[in-house]
Amino acid sequence: MESVQSAQEVFDQVYLDVRASLLVLAASLDRIDRSEGAAVVGDDVRRQRIQEGIEILAGPGRNRAEQIQVLFSDPYQSGWNQPGSDS
Amino acid sequence: MYFFDPHVHMISRVTDDYERMARMGCVGVSEPAFWAGFDRGSVDGFRDYFRQLTEFEPTRAGWSGVQHFTWLCINAKEAENVELSREVIAMIPEFLDKPGVLGIGEIGLNKNTPNECTIFREHVELAMKTNELILIHTPHLDDKYKGTRMIIDMLLEDDRVDPGRVLIDHVEEHTVGLAREEGFWCAMTLYPVTKCTPSRAADIIEMYGGERIMVNSAGDWGPSNPTAVPDFIMEMRRRGHSESKIKKIVYDNPIEFFSGSERFEFTPPDVLRENAPTRVDAD
Repeated sequence: MESVQSAQEVFDQVYLDVRASLLVLAASLDRIDRSEGAAVVGDDVRRQRIQEGIEILAGPGRNRAEQIQVLFSDPYQSGWNQPGSDS
Repeated sequence: MYFFDPHVHMISRVTDDYERMARMGCVGVSEPAFWAGFDRGSVDGFRDYFRQLTEFEPTRAGWSGVQHFTWLCINAKEAENVELSREVIAMIPEFLDKPGVLGIGEIGLNKNTPNECTIFREHVELAMKTNELILIHTPHLDDKYKGTRMIIDMLLEDDRVDPGRVLIDHVEEHTVGLAREEGFWCAMTLYPVTKCTPSRAADIIEMYGGERIMVNSAGDWGPSNPTAVPDFIMEMRRRGHSESKIKKIVYDNPIEFFSGSERFEFTPPDVLRENAPTRVDAD
């Protein structure tokens, strides 16, 4: 089951939502940066992940949502349930 | 359009929610056992909970013409108490012959700990011994990807597990493919902030198709929306998808999966309307 709308139709439908979401993101980052101790937050791994997420958004591709989900996920160790595994 | 909400904790909702859901087309719900917001202290606490799920909730749902089904387990959040978990698992068979019990669920992982894995495997063992369907809870946020893969690893350890009799819930963009590649059913939860939105669920349907997948509200005692499935229906219509494709996801698929339980006795809504029970007041 693929999208039944053209790219232009989808874009017209989501444009204002995307614009609003970008503004929420921008305003949230502005609020952090104008608050006391902003430099400390810059070293927070969560803030660094958000920066990496922004870079994913700016890149090409058709699976940006999946990439961002993986970015915010704990690592998985294959074979964790095999005999002799430490995990 | 008629729809099923295949995962909603109606015990946490008021009767008006059943009524509102029915007005929007809900004809059936399935209610997994879950965490009450606090860790319960005894097996008798669970026994009373299971009585409510199997006796009173079907009655209350029936007042609005909604058919109620349920799943039994001890939730992963309480699995750190291994002794109590084992007592609950040993008690579950008392209820497995009750009408409307679809199987074991929602079992799974929460923080992906060794104790959670132990209790998950013991739930699976019970389901295999009693030939029950399984409904799986996958963790939230950062724990989800790792936890989903661990759950699938544990299910694949056991040759008796038929993926066609297992529903992996709360899948999102990074886990839906994992579940489907191994032949499991899966479901997306439409839940504010921490899970899927109706729009992202529709995106996933467009990317992965409508086979072996469904959507639910997982409405509970937290911020949640028991009419989220109609929101998904509206999103799909807004995108131009046909009524038959939408119906497959919100009605046909849940019925197909639940039909794997011999206790899934679903009466089509048109027949049910003729025999609706009389409502009684709480006081």
